[in-house]
Amino acid sequence: MNRLNHINWDKVGRFLGSLKFAIVVISLFTLGMILGTFLESYYGTDFANRIVYKTFPFMLIQFGMFVSIIFAAVLRLPPKKRLYGFYVIHSGLIIIGLGSLITYIAGVDGQISLAPNEPNRQVILSKDILKITYPSEGKQVSTVLPYSAFAKDMDESYENIKIKQFIPFSEGKFVWADPINKYSPSTPTQSSKYHFKNAFAEQDFLLTVHPEAGNDFQSSLSMGPLNITYYPENIANCFEADTSSGIIIWNTQTAECFTPEQKKYPVKTTTSKNKFLVVPTEEGLFTFFPEISPYPMDLKFQANENSKLRAFSKKLFEDKPNLFLFGKKLAFFSKEDKKWHVNKIELNGGPADLPWMGAQISLLDHQEKLVPFNIPTPTIPIQKNGSLIKGDLKAVRLEILGNEYWVSNYNPLSLSISGKKIVFEVAKETLTLPFELALTEFKMDKDPGTSSPASYESFVKLFDNGISTNHHVFMNNPLKKSGYTFYQASYAQDSQGQYSSTLSVNVDQGRFLKYLGSLMLVFGAIWHFNLQNTKKSKVIT
Amino acid sequence: MKKITLIFSLLLSFNLLAETYFCTKDLEVLPIQQNGRVKPLYVHASETIKNLTGKSKVENLSATEAFCLLSLNGMGLPSNLNLQARIDHVDLMKFLELKDGEHFINYEALLQKEDSIKMEMRSSMGSGKNDSYQKAINKLFSNINAYKDIKAGTNWMLASKVNNTIDWLPLITFLTEEKVIAQKKITPSDPFLPVLLKSKSDYDSVNGTKYEVELLYAKAELAGWSLTLTILALASLVLSRKFYITLSLAGLSALVQLVLVSMRVYISGRAPITNMYETVLFSGFGSLVLSLVLGHFKKENLYVYMGLAYNVCTLMMLNFANGMLTATISPLVPVLRDNFWLSTHVTTVILSYGALALSWIMANTVLYRKTWGNLSKHDEILFSEIIYTTLKWGTTLLAAGVILGGVWADYSWGRFWGWDPKETWSLIVLCVYMIILHGRYTSWIKSDRFITITAGAFMSVMMAWFGVNYILATGLHSYGFSEGGAIFLGSFFLLQIIFLIVTNKKEVKAPQALAD
Repeated sequence: MNRLNHINWDKVGRFLGSLKFAIVVISLFTLGMILGTFLESYYGTDFANRIVYKTFPFMLIQFGMFVSIIFAAVLRLPPKKRLYGFYVIHSGLIIIGLGSLITYIAGVDGQISLAPNEPNRQVILSKDILKITYPSEGKQVSTVLPYSAFAKDMDESYENIKIKQFIPFSEGKFVWADPINKYSPSTPTQSSKYHFKNAFAEQDFLLTVHPEAGNDFQSSLSMGPLNITYYPENIANCFEADTSSGIIIWNTQTAECFTPEQKKYPVKTTTSKNKFLVVPTEEGLFTFFPEISPYPMDLKFQANENSKLRAFSKKLFEDKPNLFLFGKKLAFFSKEDKKWHVNKIELNGGPADLPWMGAQISLLDHQEKLVPFNIPTPTIPIQKNGSLIKGDLKAVRLEILGNEYWVSNYNPLSLSISGKKIVFEVAKETLTLPFELALTEFKMDKDPGTSSPASYESFVKLFDNGISTNHHVFMNNPLKKSGYTFYQASYAQDSQGQYSSTLSVNVDQGRFLKYLGSLMLVFGAIWHFNLQNTKKSKVIT
Repeated sequence: MKKITLIFSLLLSFNLLAETYFCTKDLEVLPIQQNGRVKPLYVHASETIKNLTGKSKVENLSATEAFCLLSLNGMGLPSNLNLQARIDHVDLMKFLELKDGEHFINYEALLQKEDSIKMEMRSSMGSGKNDSYQKAINKLFSNINAYKDIKAGTNWMLASKVNNTIDWLPLITFLTEEKVIAQKKITPSDPFLPVLLKSKSDYDSVNGTKYEVELLYAKAELAGWSLTLTILALASLVLSRKFYITLSLAGLSALVQLVLVSMRVYISGRAPITNMYETVLFSGFGSLVLSLVLGHFKKENLYVYMGLAYNVCTLMMLNFANGMLTATISPLVPVLRDNFWLSTHVTTVILSYGALALSWIMANTVLYRKTWGNLSKHDEILFSEIIYTTLKWGTTLLAAGVILGGVWADYSWGRFWGWDPKETWSLIVLCVYMIILHGRYTSWIKSDRFITITAGAFMSVMMAWFGVNYILATGLHSYGFSEGGAIFLGSFFLLQIIFLIVTNKKEVKAPQALAD
């Protein structure tokens, strides 16, 4: 306390209100912004925000400007007539600053995505969170992940879950990992890595049927007109069977397969010429229409997608190029001899020929039990044409009962710990609206004769306390409701061509102050320079 | 096939000019719907031919004639057009096996290589080869497709009235045998042209002839005329003592530019500030008018000099920097449409850039005269005062513009500020000039340094104006991306910095600090 008395507060005040201090903070602010724009252009908006705009030092510089503006005005009191414009400018700036502070603390800036006729009340905000769900208990907990540009160690725990690290920008580095769960020997868990080559292209790819493989590993792939499907090795035997129906039935959990001919199940034809057969199982009789759907159909012609048994007809895959891979075997239909060929392919044993324009395939790696996994490794993101092309993976490292696990925004983790199922997800923080919105219609006008959008509009139904109202949201015509404002922001189209609409959601309590301050700033500037002019012309006259 | 041969034989029997058939300049006024707009065929053909060949003519044929002849290929009428693509990228020249220094390759030859070009384009995409090669080959590929489209007769869309609405049909479906034979009974000497011209009367009867203004606009070459006038005005300022000549020439040039801006507004139906071409046009025009007004009220001819000098710069860019600024009027992305705040925001910012450009012209002039000419102390103080005046105008307008940008963002997205590069750079410019205006009251920026810094500060304007689109090219504002700008900007920075270094070396004894 005593030491504070020794500080010459007058001097400090004069320094903070001085022009030189103002120049220093404005210069620092400018340099920060220049750095930010360049970093943004190379590494993306999120990275620039995390490393410049929304960091403590940059906020401190802005606070410094705020202090400078206040002290500069206070030092020049009591009011002098020639400085009226100056007071108005500085007051305007202070008011803008206060307005921004209020928005920063209390405002909401998020997005809500509306699929047709699906009511939604979840607004997606910008903070990253780790969400832990206990489905059996209907319980969910979440923790906010650190807002940093680089990997950050964490020391948080919940029950027996320890959160060790968050990587905001990472990319996957491929490894073969040990499986988390134990599987019976009959469960298909194999994975293979192939090299494909033809006159136009060359590509390495990995296909897997392992139940623990994440979303970044699939069991099928398209390469231009060629479709590649990966099956457990066992299924190859059924491809070899030259049957008249061409139908194969297989069990997804045990990889057992058979043909109707082997089991002597008759294949019949409906009046509309669809082939079908009836298969007796432990759960009763299953009816398959193998040329329509791989799933068994019930009496109402609804597919039972939970069935372990699947059926398909080889004949469906004879017209277009289709390659079936089974690890160390492969199958394709040759149009020359009109036959299915099942060939062997050796690990690192040289390429096998395929019947399409000199295409060849070789087996680079094969694992029966191990899980293909991309370990998140920290990286600096790279942005191209407005989206990240590298570093898009946000990952959290967990430690549970001595084992290490990864969760990412692309691969949620599902574990069973002491008999309890737990689901982990890296997601965005959400806000639940006190009312519900549903998209009834999405309208897009295009520029005449082109497919580029000229405008898009959402027709929205709002449900609040049992009352529903209709609203029309389009560019510059937002929907306002209990302090929230919904703006038409963008749209998305799914594979079926159906549009969903994205609205940005805002709550801004500082709006009035920002507008007021802005007006004061502009009028103050005009007044200030006008005063200077009249002063000068007086001097001249 | 029968239909086509019949039309062909009809043509030959009419003893038309065998070379150009009915492709004459009469077609220029036909309406065509392409790239989301209805425009005269002349405009579309000129833009297309320019895009394909880099030239406005094909040998001795006008763009419209060439476009028409090429389209007739789709009807089975052969033509001996020799359309050449211009290849500038060294690696692409190598790939196409062009001889040393040879920049042109025939489109027919390119059609032969289409498959290998397609493959090269695909393989270059993932190969980590540089962006410019990818861009060059993508552009070539899209040009080959455009050429194919025209040659198939499907690019030329013609209006046809059905139940009082307009349907757009490609030439190959529009020009039917029935129509030609029916017309033959009325005008036996030339049945083709009237059939095509009927599409115009059809269109006009439904939508009127407003689109024809664009033909007038495209042919008037107003940018060229205003450049001539501005250069004459500038020359008269140097060569003649009669200021009224300069003033009337400058006024005339401003008037021509006003017509140019107004016509664009009339044609496009929006504020003239939605792409780089229009912002450059508007800032040059705006600052010329501002300088005339300031010069009048301050009774100082130097303002007119600054306005004219900057006007020459902008008009030069409009006339000669076609690779960077395209004059094409095209539809806008949805967020930029019907937006009062956007229009006021951009207009204010562009006007402020114009005002700051005046300070830049004057500051560089002072530096030049200090180094290589003679400059009295009185003049230097006077010039500093003038620069200060333009700075005041520029920064006030810029502050208003930045705020209006926030208002626009708030109005369209519900957020004032999002650290978007374009808005951040406009704030950077404001801060740079704030540093100068505040620094002028301290010992850090004395009067001589004030001028040097003002000249250099304009680089921040150029960065905000062009650099964000040409160098940074990200964020919400990157709609107006075009190429060649990075080189332009780089050369500008380099020249300005060299100029500052050279003029600064020959340090003149610093005059006393200015009284403010």
